[in-house]
Amino acid sequence: MSIQILAPEVASQIAAGEVVERPASVVKELVENALDAGARTLTVNIAEAGRRLIEVADDGSGIPADELLLAVERHATSKLVAAGDLFRISTLGFRGEALASIGSVSRLTLTSRAKNAEIGAKIRVEGGIMGRVEPVGAPAGTVVRVEDLFYNVPARLKFLKQDLTERRAIDGLMTRYALAYPSVRFRLMDGPTPTLQTAGDGDRRAILASLYGVDVAKQMLEVLAEDDSTTESGGVMRLSGYISPASLTRSNRKDITFFINGRWVSDTPLSTALIQAYHTLLMVGRFPLAAIFLELDPQDVDVNVHPAKAEVRFRAPERAFSFVQRAVRRGLLAYSPVPSVPVTQNLWGGSSNQSSGNSNQPGAALEWAIGHDEGPRLQVERLEGENSPTESTIQPSNLPETGQLPITNYHLPLLRLVGQVGATYLIAEGPDGLYLIDQHAAHERVLFEKLMLQHNQKNIPSQALLSPVMVTLPPQSASLLESQLPTLGHFGFQVESFGPNTFQVRGMPVLFGNADPASALRALVEDFEEDESPLQDEIEAKIAGRVCKRLAVKAGKALNPDEQRALLSDLENCDSPRTCPHGRPTMIHISVDLLERQFGRKGAR
Amino acid sequence: MKVTVLQENLTRGLSAVSRAVSPRSTLPVLANVLIATDEGRLRLSATNLEMGITCWIGAKIEEEGSTTVPARMFADLVNTMPDNQVHLNLDTRTQTLHIQSGASKNDVKGIDAQEFPPMPVPDFDNAINISVADFKEMIQQVAFAASTDEARPVLMGVLVSVDKDTVTMAAADGYRLSVRKSTLSAVAPSPVTAIIPARALSELARIASDGEQQVQMVMPKGRGQVVFRVKDAELVSQLIDGTFPDYQQIIPRSHKSRTLVSTASLLKACKQAEIFAREGSNIVRLNIKNSGELQPGEVEISAHSEETGKNETLVEATVDGIPLLIAFNVKFLREVLEVIKTPNVAIETSAPNAPGVIKPVGDEHFLHVIMPMHLG
Repeated sequence: MSIQILAPEVASQIAAGEVVERPASVVKELVENALDAGARTLTVNIAEAGRRLIEVADDGSGIPADELLLAVERHATSKLVAAGDLFRISTLGFRGEALASIGSVSRLTLTSRAKNAEIGAKIRVEGGIMGRVEPVGAPAGTVVRVEDLFYNVPARLKFLKQDLTERRAIDGLMTRYALAYPSVRFRLMDGPTPTLQTAGDGDRRAILASLYGVDVAKQMLEVLAEDDSTTESGGVMRLSGYISPASLTRSNRKDITFFINGRWVSDTPLSTALIQAYHTLLMVGRFPLAAIFLELDPQDVDVNVHPAKAEVRFRAPERAFSFVQRAVRRGLLAYSPVPSVPVTQNLWGGSSNQSSGNSNQPGAALEWAIGHDEGPRLQVERLEGENSPTESTIQPSNLPETGQLPITNYHLPLLRLVGQVGATYLIAEGPDGLYLIDQHAAHERVLFEKLMLQHNQKNIPSQALLSPVMVTLPPQSASLLESQLPTLGHFGFQVESFGPNTFQVRGMPVLFGNADPASALRALVEDFEEDESPLQDEIEAKIAGRVCKRLAVKAGKALNPDEQRALLSDLENCDSPRTCPHGRPTMIHISVDLLERQFGRKGAR
Repeated sequence: MKVTVLQENLTRGLSAVSRAVSPRSTLPVLANVLIATDEGRLRLSATNLEMGITCWIGAKIEEEGSTTVPARMFADLVNTMPDNQVHLNLDTRTQTLHIQSGASKNDVKGIDAQEFPPMPVPDFDNAINISVADFKEMIQQVAFAASTDEARPVLMGVLVSVDKDTVTMAAADGYRLSVRKSTLSAVAPSPVTAIIPARALSELARIASDGEQQVQMVMPKGRGQVVFRVKDAELVSQLIDGTFPDYQQIIPRSHKSRTLVSTASLLKACKQAEIFAREGSNIVRLNIKNSGELQPGEVEISAHSEETGKNETLVEATVDGIPLLIAFNVKFLREVLEVIKTPNVAIETSAPNAPGVIKPVGDEHFLHVIMPMHLG
């Protein structure tokens, strides 16, 4: 096949692929344009998660009629003139590609009236073919209407995720820009009702509430910092934003958001710096929430790294990172000198995480105690469902919190209860030595198997509520919950969608007893966002796991001997008694052999 | 302070105030009971700051005074006194209370009465008077339906409203609702609505003995408190702040099926069903079978558990309306049947997913709503 120059449409579609990846990236480009145009009010309409329609309307400066044709040309922009300008970019866009790229993969209509023009104009671009500029009556500002995105790129269309996922991406994007521009009124419409609406009064905390939910927003700590050591490595840096206290964590980094000069970027080194600021305050595998706004001289940061502009390069990366880290650490310590167990937090929140975290301690302590001993190497089985004693020192468990477990049929031997230690662990004797059992993890396992059994028999009864309870969730959790309503139904939650981001709880699983339905529901969807579309089985196991975590007896609760015995015998009946549903071990086994060697009765001297 | 009291009086008084003692408070004096001479009688008070109980007992007072001593140990001590006469003598300098009875001599270290939180002294002139027997029955029929979940404080209370000569109590825990009305002997001076902690009401029912005629209730303006007085005891409780759900909306206005059944038989059947149901999810099924033209109707009460087995009881009933299979939490059903005094009870409902209304037959003053359960 001979080499030939690609046809312009093909070339432009390829280029578009870099900028326009999914509906959310269209929204991003158009919103950035609107913000660059100085919009005070910004309305985004989407239909079918942006597949059918994305319409972004602003009241910005508008485009004069005679420039309209140019605006949809590739590499046409008003934001940049000379190459040197690239090093001091103060606008969000500058490449002059967005409109052209979007136009080449959709049916785009651009309607605009410049502030001082008497009449507006519009132009239509279909699959990269430009129409004619026509005069039209329009309000001041610009309306970009993108219809049938990717209609001419079936491959792209095929790779779009399901509507909910795409909508969630748009929700997340809009909320974040709303947060970065609190004095601009944002409105996101999906059909006739707004899913996001901000007042544009500069109040960031209110927007924070729609991003994370009211409870979380209330707990967020505000940080402000400035680094004015103007060295040759750069100018003044300013940081403002919100960080979570150490007691509030998520299981992924998704809720860490960085804005550099008003631009949403995903920069891993920056989030690493942030997480480092939390060093020793968080459990392994938990991450903070943050929305950080970094302001620095445009000369000190290069945004022209990737067409989507989500990555940046710093002129002095070390300085930026350590600035972020110091600022966050200082803010964190100022508010909470020690990581406190959140007593005031409601029961659904992180308190159980805290308590389960404690279970790492004895393992670590034991390791320390014997690691420094020159005596025989400690042989302790780390019980993980298999009956193969492995020779190893105990490691604090950092197992990933996966909901699914390998199903093994290893049952426990009959155990004799010895007692409870520290109101957290049970001690039991088996035919082969001593068992230390974490009561919370063990109870979680017991409940989990019961619940999954009932679930598999479709036998989880639901208790109707006297009067339905309304729960409003942040948009991201809301669309997630919406997709899981049938699953929740199988677990006895009668939940119905009730308007945008609002749900009506009509019934609760009996197991939940008297707990507050609203916080129960919130706890279920909180940090559930890690997998975009996990398998159904996994979701079910995950929900069950979460329910159990909520219900299981907490560490620190003194159990009477009957309760202790009942827990042991329930655990004996479990199919995989040795790990909790989240994968942490429920027990540590110390064999008779080990005891004898430790006491010098046998073996190496 | 120098007083002599009868052991049985002191025991009774200490037992009455004991529930308000808060043994594990950060404020040590709250674990104590206040002992003070008060116009020829001895006053005993305890408070946990949410609720306070005061009780007066007869005493021979030789010298006025007051102190506080650890409630629990003082009660244990008094219970085991050898003689009927108990002499209390306070050494104010050391705050040590000498307790003597027969050959038993004891010194108990106290805390100065000044440190004890002051109890309100309300004006009972405008009090609402309610018959003790009525009030106790109301509390018994309503308070159990209140929630115990501290996440929703409003539901931990009982809505008490007085309007003209009617007093109404209502409590709900999200799944069931209990409402009881009663008539006052005299018209109340002004209408009152307040949410009173269910626990305080239950305590009141405990300390108000049946022999007494009236309980007086006042809510001093602007203090967020309610004070109850019976013959020789007072109970003060903080009111719960908030809005009680509009329970009138929850009560169904119509029904498609009404089942009349003997209260005792249904209660017995429920208790049996509970033995099985409690192993699983507390679910009991009521299969309401329509009365034909000639044969009587019946209700089949059944429960089953995967592990233990199943139970089934047939109870004769008069069924008016459509036949129905409906499931309830057996504990809820049992608890309401236990407080119904009439020999027969009516269950009104419309569908398996509609609320069930339980009414004593022949008593218009009580009504209970239970939400059904259903399998997913």
